Amino acid sequence: MDQPLWVPIFQTLVVFVYFLLVTAVLIWAERRVVARMQHRVGPNRVGPFGALQTLVDGAKMFFKEDPTPGMVNNPVYTIAPLVGVIAGFLSIAVIPLGFDVTLFGETFPLVVADLNVGVLWILAMGSIHVYSVFLAGWSSNSPYPLLGGIRSSAQMVSYEIAQGLAVASVVVYAGSLRISDIIAGQQTSTLIEGMPGWYAIPLFPAFLVFVIGMVAEAGRPPFDLAEAEGELVGGFHTEYSGMRFGMFMLAEFMNVVTMSAIVVTLFLGGPNGPTFGLPDAIAWVLPILWFSLKMIGFIFFFILLRGALPRYRYDRLMSLGWKVLIPIALVWVLVTAGFVLLAEEGIATTVRLVLAGAAGLLVLALLVTAGPARLAGASDRPKRAPIPTPAPDRAPASRHVERDREEVAP
Amino acid sequence: MTAHDLVFVIVGLVTAVSAILVVTSRHLMHAALYLALTLTGIGGVFLVLGAGFIALVQVVVYVGAVAVLFLFGLMLTRAPIGREALDSQNRGLGLAVAGALFVLLAALIIPAFGGESTAEVTGPTIEAIGIAIFADWVLPFEVLSMLLLAALIGAILLARREAGESGTEAEVTRIEMGEALADEPDRHEAVGTSAPAGELGAGGGR
Amino acid sequence: MAIDWLAIAPEVALTVTALLVLAADLALRGDAKQLVNPLAMIGTVVAIVFAVVLWAEAPRVAFEGQYVVDSFAVAFKLLFLGTLLAILAISARYFAEGRYFQGEYYFLLLTAFIGMLLMPSARDLLVLFIALETVSVPAFVMVGMRKRDLYSSEAALKFFLIGVLSAALMLFGMSMVYGFTGTTRLEGIAQALAGDAGSVPLLLGSVMLVIVGFGFKISAVPFHFWAPDTYAGSPLPVAAMLAVASKAAGFAGLLTIAFVAFEPVADVWAPVLGVLAILTMTLGNLVALQQRDLIRLLAYSSIAQAGYMLIPFGLARPGAEVVNQAAVRAVLFYLIAYAVMNVGAFAVAIGVNRRTGERSIRDYAGLGTRSPLLALAMTVFLLSLGGAPLTVGLWAKFAIIEAVAVEVTVFGLVMASFLVVNSVIAFFYYLRVIREIWFEPAAAEAPRLQPALSLSVVVVVLMVGTILLGVLPGLVADPTVVTTFATGG
Repeated sequence: MDQPLWVPIFQTLVVFVYFLLVTAVLIWAERRVVARMQHRVGPNRVGPFGALQTLVDGAKMFFKEDPTPGMVNNPVYTIAPLVGVIAGFLSIAVIPLGFDVTLFGETFPLVVADLNVGVLWILAMGSIHVYSVFLAGWSSNSPYPLLGGIRSSAQMVSYEIAQGLAVASVVVYAGSLRISDIIAGQQTSTLIEGMPGWYAIPLFPAFLVFVIGMVAEAGRPPFDLAEAEGELVGGFHTEYSGMRFGMFMLAEFMNVVTMSAIVVTLFLGGPNGPTFGLPDAIAWVLPILWFSLKMIGFIFFFILLRGALPRYRYDRLMSLGWKVLIPIALVWVLVTAGFVLLAEEGIATTVRLVLAGAAGLLVLALLVTAGPARLAGASDRPKRAPIPTPAPDRAPASRHVERDREEVAP
Repeated sequence: MTAHDLVFVIVGLVTAVSAILVVTSRHLMHAALYLALTLTGIGGVFLVLGAGFIALVQVVVYVGAVAVLFLFGLMLTRAPIGREALDSQNRGLGLAVAGALFVLLAALIIPAFGGESTAEVTGPTIEAIGIAIFADWVLPFEVLSMLLLAALIGAILLARREAGESGTEAEVTRIEMGEALADEPDRHEAVGTSAPAGELGAGGGR
Repeated sequence: MAIDWLAIAPEVALTVTALLVLAADLALRGDAKQLVNPLAMIGTVVAIVFAVVLWAEAPRVAFEGQYVVDSFAVAFKLLFLGTLLAILAISARYFAEGRYFQGEYYFLLLTAFIGMLLMPSARDLLVLFIALETVSVPAFVMVGMRKRDLYSSEAALKFFLIGVLSAALMLFGMSMVYGFTGTTRLEGIAQALAGDAGSVPLLLGSVMLVIVGFGFKISAVPFHFWAPDTYAGSPLPVAAMLAVASKAAGFAGLLTIAFVAFEPVADVWAPVLGVLAILTMTLGNLVALQQRDLIRLLAYSSIAQAGYMLIPFGLARPGAEVVNQAAVRAVLFYLIAYAVMNVGAFAVAIGVNRRTGERSIRDYAGLGTRSPLLALAMTVFLLSLGGAPLTVGLWAKFAIIEAVAVEVTVFGLVMASFLVVNSVIAFFYYLRVIREIWFEPAAAEAPRLQPALSLSVVVVVLMVGTILLGVLPGLVADPTVVTTFATGG
């Protein structure tokens, strides 16, 4: 390598600091937004609009006493939160914040490592993250954490399959496992001139599956059954406190940021966006801006979901994953592969579009008819609607207040 | 010794030590965790060989799915019992067999491959792997899909507990020593047409 | 890459049938589920038609030499498909009445047979291994199908553990062979073994590991533990499948790998397999003498038969074309004969046990009065298994002696003499069953038996076949004489 040593270190630092900052902002934003949705004020004491609350809470956790319960299985108990944080950190390593940047005479991309199997890397780290939750639940040697651990491991493994299939259609469409190739493929649309070629449009079912899957994967409401405080106290981290608990919190919020970054990268063009013909000296900022804006949009979506939706029932969650999302994602991989194959055979774009549209309708029909029927069949109340609408008598407000409190003072 | 070699030695040591711990650990859950570590280590070996794709597939499939299902199965069945000791009466025998096998294989493998320096290893490209699977080896690949389907159906069949429409069996036959049927001559009349469930009662030469 | 569809037509036919069976089982309800049996039979007949067409078309090389359809392979395919047809026929009532998982059973059965059809055609370690696993995995499940029966679970567990162990050993051996020769094609391995590689101890060890893996499949002696318990615990049609088809598949694979890939080192494995042959037949027969349970008796008898079939392997020598060809033909002919008489014996056992739940040999007392057809058929099958004149069993043993006689060696003579002595021992226990059937009075409460039509047809056809081939062995022996291995491209 002819690059000086500081370049990779700088790359790494920039990326990690960026994501850490976003995570810190997210924690604050979440509490403010959810508070607003529930006609509360939220944290407003430390700093302007309470923006420094996260920092203070972090410091508090750091200095709190961290007792280890006597029945736990050390060292697994101690390792578990570390695994989560490490997996979270590692998975952002392949996501570019922007394109090439020229600073101090060196040109380098804003990514830690542009692996040729970047997509797989993300999936692999996701599967390692399962261990964190799982081991925490088991090593606590206590009933509620164990239940939480079992629930979440089953949930994560199931939704990983759906997510993996959704990613598979991206890979097939882009023809590469390298993240930078996938981003380059989304620069301009091949179908409509002048439009951004975001994969979310041609691969809409996969996009949908991925978005639902990422909420489940991050263990966020409405899929936060692993730590359903109404039934499991705190789920897998019931026995944890102090900084070790803090690490779980960090990992969870990191996961939200990571998932948002991944979905933006894979489906919404990543740092792609108009540069307005600005000179290069300034233009490198714009991709970072686009990327951040898109990512913040998804983070906001996560927060809104938490404020708006009640928790899903566990068997429904599994049914949704196995009987609706996986089939849809699988069918869409086939459709995508067919589309790409026909392109190689030299079939006209319009014909392919018609075929893909027909296939899309098929998937939609599958979703509308078979999905709910099967979902209903899986539950013990066959006549009920598949997707639970928030019932008026289960207003989410009180629950979230509770949850908010738990986060502040664990 | 290059840095490459050093990494290989470290990865190899981690893999080997955790593999030994899998079989020596007296705690079932710990054994499963060491297994996960071993599988990760094997992924690392692939990485050292320059096969990044296979390494990550190894992690996704074995660490992320197979080992998790192992742990999951343990949690659902035995793990809540706590610090249960795995204690086999055959530890000595196992050690002897494993040691003998190790010596034998080492004696065979080292003269066969030892001292042979291979060229710089570069793993296959993803394209090469894809073509190998879906073009060159399409026949075994497709057969494998049937095999996996059969395994899937079989697993469901064995795991399904409720008395489904086609899974109803009339009666439980317990292992009974001796001529159980002779004591219950009219058992089969009562069962009616579903006699095969009882056919083992007279398990002759046991 | 163009795919030679005709070469894999029988397998494709079975695959389509298996999937149709699965779909039909999903769609049908209640008693209608029995319809999957005729569906499976139709698919099998289609596959047989394709196989017969292939007999005229052989040899064909497909998939760049991974897959070869020669007369040897087609002969095996016809053997498997015929066995499948018979097993389907004897399964129909057993499974319909037992109300087991019918659709799943037929699906698994067909899948296992897909693996068997691949086995004799495979000219590549990978294909061979996957074919072997495709035979084994469905069988693990089928053995354990009677879930509430602890014997069945025990049988499945034993079978599974030993099966997995042997698969692991075999895979390890294969990986070593590949690591050394740099190829998985059997032809390439043979070339490498003929060269320098043939003298490396590790490689010879690996060759033995691969052969050991097949030893499990054919239940040769040190790897035979599973067989009696597994046969006794599994549903009877599954036991018939294991005893006949699965064992034949193991022999098909062993023949291919031994005589195509490992032929240059035959002087290493031939004596080992020869000794195994002697051990297998002697132990099988001696233990069979002690059995009181008919299924276990048949199990030990099938172990002994595997021992007879291993004798020709002991004769192999590197480069001795004539001897090796004769050995292959002897095994093939013996397998065909073995399939006819052993499926027949299991069919009768199903006919007797289906309703009454009997399987102790004592319970066969008076079968002659309770069901003359089954009694007569059992007598013929058992005599044939023993090798009596006028049955195909005699010619089967004769085929082996003939292979020994191609080039007389001391070791060959030793094995042949063991064969003769063992045949005499075997007659003891076969005749004991026959005595029970004809000369002992039936128990007072024993009802008359009314076997199902399909089962009766199978029994009659196999009985006629046993005698017909006993009188005119040329019907099968002549076509098998022309069977040869074709080389993969």
